[in-house]
Amino acid sequence: MRIELHDIHKSFGETEVLRGIDLTVEGGEVLALVGENGAGKSTLTRIVSGAYRPDAGSIVVDGQDVAFTGPQDAMSHGIQVIYQEFRQNIFPNLTVAENLFTLDEQAEFGRVLVSKRRMRAKARELLDLIGLDVDPATPVHRLSVAQMQMLEMAKTAGHDARLLILDEPTAALDEQESERLFEQIERLRASGVAIVYISHRLEEVFRLSQRVVVLRNGSVALERPTAELDEREVVTAMVGRTIEDFYPKETHTRDDVVLSVRGLAGPDFADVSFDVRAGEVVGIGGVFGCGKGSVLRALFGLVPTTAASVAVDGTTYRPSVPQAAIDAGIGYVPPDRQAEGLCLQQSVSDNISMASLSRYSSGPYVHRGRERAETSRIIDQLAIRTASPSAPVGSLSGGNQQKALFGGWVLTRPKVLMMEEPTRGVDVGAKAEIYRIINEQAAAGVAVVIVSSDLPELVAMSDRLLVMRQGHVVAELTDDDLTEQKLLEHALESAA
Amino acid sequence: MKPIITGLTSLNRELRAVWMLLFVGLVLFIATPLFLTGDNLLNVLLAASVTALLAAGQTYVIILAEIDLSVGAILGISGIVTAFTLQDQPLVVGLLAGWGVGALAGLVNGLLVTKLRMPSFIATLAMMSVLSGLTLQLSQGNPVSIEDDTFLAIGQASPLGVPNPVWIMLAAFIVFGLVLARSRYGRHVYAVGDNEDAARLAGIEVHRVKILAFVISGLLASTAGFILAARLGTAQPTAGTGLELAAIAAVIIGGTSLAGGRGALAGTLIGALLLGVIDNGLNLLDVSPFLQGVVKGLVILVAIFLDRNSDRVRALTRLVRPRRPGSGADADTASPTTTGGTP
Repeated sequence: MRIELHDIHKSFGETEVLRGIDLTVEGGEVLALVGENGAGKSTLTRIVSGAYRPDAGSIVVDGQDVAFTGPQDAMSHGIQVIYQEFRQNIFPNLTVAENLFTLDEQAEFGRVLVSKRRMRAKARELLDLIGLDVDPATPVHRLSVAQMQMLEMAKTAGHDARLLILDEPTAALDEQESERLFEQIERLRASGVAIVYISHRLEEVFRLSQRVVVLRNGSVALERPTAELDEREVVTAMVGRTIEDFYPKETHTRDDVVLSVRGLAGPDFADVSFDVRAGEVVGIGGVFGCGKGSVLRALFGLVPTTAASVAVDGTTYRPSVPQAAIDAGIGYVPPDRQAEGLCLQQSVSDNISMASLSRYSSGPYVHRGRERAETSRIIDQLAIRTASPSAPVGSLSGGNQQKALFGGWVLTRPKVLMMEEPTRGVDVGAKAEIYRIINEQAAAGVAVVIVSSDLPELVAMSDRLLVMRQGHVVAELTDDDLTEQKLLEHALESAA
Repeated sequence: MKPIITGLTSLNRELRAVWMLLFVGLVLFIATPLFLTGDNLLNVLLAASVTALLAAGQTYVIILAEIDLSVGAILGISGIVTAFTLQDQPLVVGLLAGWGVGALAGLVNGLLVTKLRMPSFIATLAMMSVLSGLTLQLSQGNPVSIEDDTFLAIGQASPLGVPNPVWIMLAAFIVFGLVLARSRYGRHVYAVGDNEDAARLAGIEVHRVKILAFVISGLLASTAGFILAARLGTAQPTAGTGLELAAIAAVIIGGTSLAGGRGALAGTLIGALLLGVIDNGLNLLDVSPFLQGVVKGLVILVAIFLDRNSDRVRALTRLVRPRRPGSGADADTASPTTTGGTP
C-alpha cells in the first residue's frame, strides 16, 4: 500500500484549512502526524477517509488516481479511521459482536436469520487477535472507554485495513491500556499496514513512529525521519516559535500545611493520608483503577466517604456536597471538561462565575456589572482567547475551554486547587499556558493537587508525588526519586 | 425582501417568532378589516393569557431539559378546588387553596423527577392522569359555579380598559422574566439545563433548582386556572384538557430548546401570542374549527424548521437575490468591506 497526497487544498467558507499538502504514506511504516488544534489534522484525516472532498489536489493509491465518493468508497480501498470521538460510531445498546460487523457483513452469518452463534464465534476470533478479553454477547455500554477503543481496533482488523489512521487514540487510555494499543499498532505495522498516528503526546510519537510530519496552519511545517529529530524541534515546528521549557516548573512550597487528609476511605480506596503545603504541587499517580481520581472526587463531595479526617487551613472539613467543599476553599477541575466541567451553550463569563456567583449577588439579584468586571479580569489574566465574554464557551478551542474551566476555579480564590487531567486534549501552546496558571496559583500560596495519566507532565509539575496502587498510597517520591521510572515501578509492582 | 429574511435568521432565536407574528398579523390585516381593531387585539391578548401563563412556567421546566405535562390538569383541579372553597370561605382562602394544590402537585412532580429519578415525561404524565381523575371525582363531572364577585373580577374586570387577565399575564412575564434573566436562580436554571454534572460541580443544588421550577410551573398553572374559572363564572373539571400541549408549543415556537440550556421568556410570550393570533384569525375568517388544529400544527412545524435550519434559510437568501454582474457592482460599492452574500 502506498498512498500519496498531492497539493491538497480545502476551505470552509472563507477559511482556508489546508493550503497545499503533499504527503506520502507507505505500508509497514508508522507516520506520526502532529500539530496544534486547528492545524488541519482532522480535515486532512477526513479527506483521506473520504468524508470530505478536497477543493484541489489529487489522491493516488498504489499508483492510481482516486476520488473517493464517500467513507464507504475509501474503506473499500482499505482505508480505516479510528476517530478521537469514536464513541459516535458505537451502538451502545447492541452487543460487542453486533458492533463488530456491519449489517452487510452480518448477512454472512445467515441469509434470513443471523446465526448469533456463528457471529459470536467470528467475533471471538477478532477479539482474540487484538487481545480484548470480553464476551461478544456483552452490550457495548458495559465496556470501559478503553475496551470500546479496542473494539474499534477489532473492527478494523475485521475489515482488512491497509491504511489505518488513529486520531489521539490514547486520550482516554491509561498506561497499561496504551501499552496494549502500542503492541497492536506494532503488530499491524509489521504485517504491512500503513499507519498514520495523530497525537499530542510526543513521547508516543517518538516511540512509535518512523517518520514525523508536523502540520501548522494547513501546511507541512516539518517532515523528517523520527530518528533525526528531538522533541524540541517538533514543538518548535508545531508552534512556529521556540518554547523555552516544555514544562515551566517553578517551586513555591512554603511551610504551612493547607490541606491535611488522614485516613480517607471510599468505595475504591482506603487509608489515604497526606498533607499539602501552601504553594506546593502534589501529584498523585498510578494506573487506571488505582483510586487516584476517586480520592479527589471524595474530597470534593462527589463520591461518598466512609471515613475521613480532613482539615483545610487547620479547620476541620467534612466532605459532603460540592458547595461545602467550595465553602471550605477547595476547587476541583474535573478530567472531562465537556462532560462535567462546562455548560457549553452558556457564555464564557457565566461559566467562569458559576461557582462564585453568590459573591456577586445581593439576595437573589446578580450584579452583572461587578460580575462582568471580575470575569473579564480572569479572561485577561489567563489569556482566554474569546470573541467576547458573552460568546458561548462551546465556541472556543479546546485549550481555551480548558482555561475557562480553570478560570472559574481561580475566581473562587481557592486555598486548595485539585485537578484531574489538567491538559487532556489541549495543544502544546495551551498546555504551556495551563502550566503557567498552575505556577501562578502555587506562587499565590494555593495548595495544588494534580492527578494525571500524562506521566511526563505529572513528574515535571509535581514537587512531591504520591503513588497509589489498588486503593492505597504505596510510595511518596521526592527530589531525585521523582521520576517516571520510579513512579511506574511502584504503580505496577505486583501486590506482594 | 433580503433584509427581512436576513433579519429573520440573524435575530436571537427567541425573537425569530416575532417575524412570524408580524407576518401572520399582516396577512390577517389584509384579509379582514376586523383584525386590526383595539377590541379585537385585546381579545387576542385575553384569549392568549391562559396559555401564556402555563407556557411561562413550562419555559423554566423546558430550559431545565425536563417537561411538565401536568399543567393542564393542575389548571383544572385548581379551578375546581378554589370554586368549592369559595362556597363558604373568603377569597384569600380560596386562592391559597388553589395555589396550594398547584404548588403541591409541582412539588410532587419535582420530587419524582429528582429524588426518584423518574423521567419527567412519565412522572408528569402520571400526575396529569391522577389530577384529571381527582378533578372529575371531586366535581362528579359537573361544573362548579362561583358567586364571589371579587374572584369573578379577576377574569372579568378591565381596569384602564385592559382586562385583568392581560395585566396578570404581563406582570407574571415581567417578574418571572427578570428572575430567569437576572437572578442567581435563573442562572442556575440555565446551567443545570445545559449540563447537570457541571452545575453540580459548581456547587449548584441541582435537585432544588428542578423542584422549584416544577413548583413555579404548578403555581402559574393554578393562576391560569383562576383566570379561566373567573372568566366563565364556573370552574369546569375539563377546563385544562389539552392546554399543556398548547403551552409546550408556545415555548418551542418561542425558541426555547427542548434539549435544555437555552431559551427566554420573551420568546415564550411571542409564541403564545402567535398561537392566539392564529386562533383569532381563523375564527374571524370563519375557518372550520376542525381545520384550526391543522393550521396551528403547520405553524409549529414552520417555526421549528426556521429554528433548526437557519443555515439553509440563509442559503435561500442568496437564491432570492443572486449575484448578477450588472447589479453586483452597486452592492459592492455600498459596502466595500463585505465580500457578498451573508456570512
